[in-house]
Amino acid sequence: MDMLIGYSLYGISLLTVGGIYAILALGLNIQWGYAGLFNVGIAGFAAIGAYTFALMTTAPSSYHYGGLDLPLPLAIACAMLFSGLIAFLIGLICIRLRSDYLAISTIGIAEIIKLFLKNQTDLTNGPRGINKIPRVWEHLTEERFYTRAPMSWFSDAQGWENFFDALPIWWWQPFFCLTILFIVFIIYTLLEKAQKSPWGRMMTAIRENENAAHAAGKDVTRRRIEAFVIGAMVMGLAGAILSQHLRLIDPTNTFDPSKMTFLVWVMLIAGGSGNNRGAIFGAFLVWVIWSASEIFINSGLHIFGELVSNMDISLLKTRAGYLRMMIIGLLLQYILQKYPDGIMPESRPVQTGEKLKKGRI
Amino acid sequence: MRKQIAAGLACYILATTAQADVVIGNPMAVTGPIPDLVAPMVAGVDLAEKHINEQGGMFASGEKFVVARADSQCDPVAAVDAVTKLINVSMVTAIVGPVCSGATIAQAESVSIPAGVVTLSVSASSPAISNMENGTDLVFRSAASDAYQGVALAELAMSKGIKDIAVSYANDDYNAGIAEVFAKSFAAMGGKITSNEAHEPNKASYRAEVATMGSATDNLAVFAYYGSGGITLMRNALEIGAFSTFIGADGMLAQEVIDQIGAENLGSTTFTTSTSDQSSAGFTAWKALADAADIPAAGPFVPNSYDATFMMALAIEKAGSADRSAISGALRSIANAPGETILPGEFAKAKAIIAAGGDIHYVGASGPQDFDENGDVAGYFSANVVKDGAWEGTIID
Amino acid sequence: MWETFGFEFVNFYLIPGLVLGCIYALGAIGITLTFSILRFANFAHGEVMMIGAYFTWTAMVLSNDLFGVPLHPLVAAAPAVLLAIGLFILVDRYFYKPFRYASTIRVVMASFGMMLIIRSFVQAVWGPNQLTFVPGIAKPNELVKNFTASVDMMILVPNKHFWIIAGTLVIMFALSWLLTKTKIGKGMRAVSDSPELAKVSGIDVEIIVKATWFVGGFCAVAAGVFLAMDLQMLETTMGFRMLLPMFAAAILGGIGRPFGAVIGGLVIGLAEELSVYPWFGNGSLISPGYKTGVAFTIMVVMLVIRPSGLFKGRLF
Repeated sequence: MDMLIGYSLYGISLLTVGGIYAILALGLNIQWGYAGLFNVGIAGFAAIGAYTFALMTTAPSSYHYGGLDLPLPLAIACAMLFSGLIAFLIGLICIRLRSDYLAISTIGIAEIIKLFLKNQTDLTNGPRGINKIPRVWEHLTEERFYTRAPMSWFSDAQGWENFFDALPIWWWQPFFCLTILFIVFIIYTLLEKAQKSPWGRMMTAIRENENAAHAAGKDVTRRRIEAFVIGAMVMGLAGAILSQHLRLIDPTNTFDPSKMTFLVWVMLIAGGSGNNRGAIFGAFLVWVIWSASEIFINSGLHIFGELVSNMDISLLKTRAGYLRMMIIGLLLQYILQKYPDGIMPESRPVQTGEKLKKGRI
Repeated sequence: MRKQIAAGLACYILATTAQADVVIGNPMAVTGPIPDLVAPMVAGVDLAEKHINEQGGMFASGEKFVVARADSQCDPVAAVDAVTKLINVSMVTAIVGPVCSGATIAQAESVSIPAGVVTLSVSASSPAISNMENGTDLVFRSAASDAYQGVALAELAMSKGIKDIAVSYANDDYNAGIAEVFAKSFAAMGGKITSNEAHEPNKASYRAEVATMGSATDNLAVFAYYGSGGITLMRNALEIGAFSTFIGADGMLAQEVIDQIGAENLGSTTFTTSTSDQSSAGFTAWKALADAADIPAAGPFVPNSYDATFMMALAIEKAGSADRSAISGALRSIANAPGETILPGEFAKAKAIIAAGGDIHYVGASGPQDFDENGDVAGYFSANVVKDGAWEGTIID
Repeated sequence: MWETFGFEFVNFYLIPGLVLGCIYALGAIGITLTFSILRFANFAHGEVMMIGAYFTWTAMVLSNDLFGVPLHPLVAAAPAVLLAIGLFILVDRYFYKPFRYASTIRVVMASFGMMLIIRSFVQAVWGPNQLTFVPGIAKPNELVKNFTASVDMMILVPNKHFWIIAGTLVIMFALSWLLTKTKIGKGMRAVSDSPELAKVSGIDVEIIVKATWFVGGFCAVAAGVFLAMDLQMLETTMGFRMLLPMFAAAILGGIGRPFGAVIGGLVIGLAEELSVYPWFGNGSLISPGYKTGVAFTIMVVMLVIRPSGLFKGRLF
């Protein structure tokens, strides 16, 4: 029974983190899949969202600015708005850059954002990060939440304590996971609507042939900034949820580009860019591989170690982590070559005939 | 057919991790920014596991003591994921240590405290860990808080007659924390901090930084990991002769530093580390065991890693079952006085005493491990200087 | 301690900046050529730098252990260069070529993947720990020091820095000869300027691609070995942490302009070191914690105000 609960809880945690990555991938899909904007600064926007949320919701602390102890939904809204605002400013100056140039400049900007978070110690506690970030549902069990409105309307502190003590300790995990999946679903629905709307068709037109769209009287720059800002807002939302999941965020390790930017790109490209379902599928698939591969490789090594018990495989064990990275890299190459348009290719709202095979060389 | 084989293999793999008898989780930062510091710590954990199983295993039935390892990478995302797997899939009784403070806090607040699992960190030294719990008693550590080591280092600098000093710290959670404590206490003792600057780890050159800082003083307090820029910074400083005296902490204490920079250049360099009195019975016992296993006995956090694993086994033995809820109390009981003194490696002796209903008091490789109300240990610190091409430590009073 | 002899600006800021700039420059040459000829930003470039230095280290250790002959790093780099170029060409054949006619993002993703694969390969084989390249402290060259001191301008340069600066100059002249005087070099410039036109005029693009990897691989290994000589050690992330400043250098110089990349590298290297010079008062101009940001800021500003770079590189 314990084992069943354990495996279910691990499954829930896979869905939770997979869901957070799915939100990031959907945000990226607006930018890349809809508008063709090559944003490699995902970690930067997620970090802005996460830090905004953390500073606004933590209890007052001597380590960093605030915390302001504000309600969670307000903080999430602010995280999105603030990410969007920064993206708007970046968009104003960078949006006219083409593909790879935009990529490189967004990497640079993301690194500058991280440097800022790392060096403004008074504001963010620098590299040591912010902890005790409240996690939605679980935060209800914190004294500072159940002793005030609206929770205090229903019961006094003692009543709430007794209520939470009666629940299994993991009661909030399924709720947290379902909340994230619900957010994924809402964003998915809105994006599907947007894609089929005139706005979405215009986006596709701009992505496919910018000059033609421009000639047809569309404000290309404005539409591109719109996509950039909306995508960044979704990424900021994902960052805010990530900070709840981790409960501690720091600028260097949490928002490491290989895990926060590169991995999201792998998810989107593997799943199928332009296709929202593909983005969600890719996020869950890649995260499950990423997380579960450790269990399988460790156990595989364990079995191998018993088979060849006369050999010393301790070196192999300490370097298994690197082998795992290598296998993930090879898997990515395989998916890229085997599924050139992703596992779930984009279904185009308007078929414009055979796509021109235009070589780069 | 292939599917069936795969499914069978998957079942077997899942079963192998679950069927083991007493399992503790060990999320070490095997990969990540400081793999070179972590490797000997992992060896310390494995040595404790070996000793426990050689001396009859756990409980009267002699169940096997198993360390399930996962990679926490010094990264909150990876650490939370790794500990989730350990707690829910490997079904561990308790967690023995994430390495970095950030990863430790994240996994504790996000996973292990909500699941009611005890964490005993082997090297997390951030002062923030002391007051992070809210009404629970689930986070312990066998390494002393930076709040102590920074002060010890400042006292050391004062006793060396250093009046002014420049502070350069790598901008990561560990080094920024200890630098802050050091700078505050050195200034409070009447010393002068000429400059206190962060540097970005892993840069190719620090010549300009050290030149600018070196214009005001000859003394540098360097807080960095030797593997992520610390050696480069010291080498640059020595090449241009910006500083003559160096002091620092654990992160720089490695044979690598001597091998790369050369013992002849490290004449006036002193690094502190959390250690035990090397003449104490605990350290002597540990030194014999570590030498036999070819592990650096005085390496940073290596004795702490052994102690943490050993204490966790003692606590489970004391609790009498692998049940998670009893560990916290048992851990305090075996680590704190009173009781019969148990030294590193004496598992069979401890087991016999516990079986007879007696109390034990573990005095570890890294000194007595009496936990205060925050689950912290006081710890001793040693000042290490180069002698005959190796670090030699003397305890700081 | 050093204020006793003055001249610290040149010795401690300018010359280190130049050395760093040389390393950036060599890396940026490969990036700018790949970018202009194969049309993608190769994120695996830093890893080839790194693996080249590891090959060099291995050659040095093998020669010392097997034959008792200690090799100078620059000699040991010769077989490493061949291996690294071979690696580049193999990677191109199996991982980049399949995407030559697909959208850029795929090949960029493939290069991201290669970055991961090469680095974890090195970490698994050589281990993640640092390796000592040359132990000890590099003292300034006595000859130069005494001579310049006699004319009241004491210059302190260790030998390793002479090697790095001289090596970069030699490679630059060789590259200039290759690109302007040889048929293959002219072909490379032609493909870089206009691939369609080059194809029509009968240039075999695949040969040009191989030549690009050859030149890029050579410069990358040179940069990697020079970096290892300067750091006197090796580690597995040494290539990656140089990657973004090298991109910045390539963009600053203008994509497809190898000499622009050299100038860009020097500018970035100097800017990083000079940013912490105490221009005003006693403290450094900006906090050293922000030093990494200097290259990024230059890069972003350049992209915004003049994306074609200082030397009018190509835009696409």
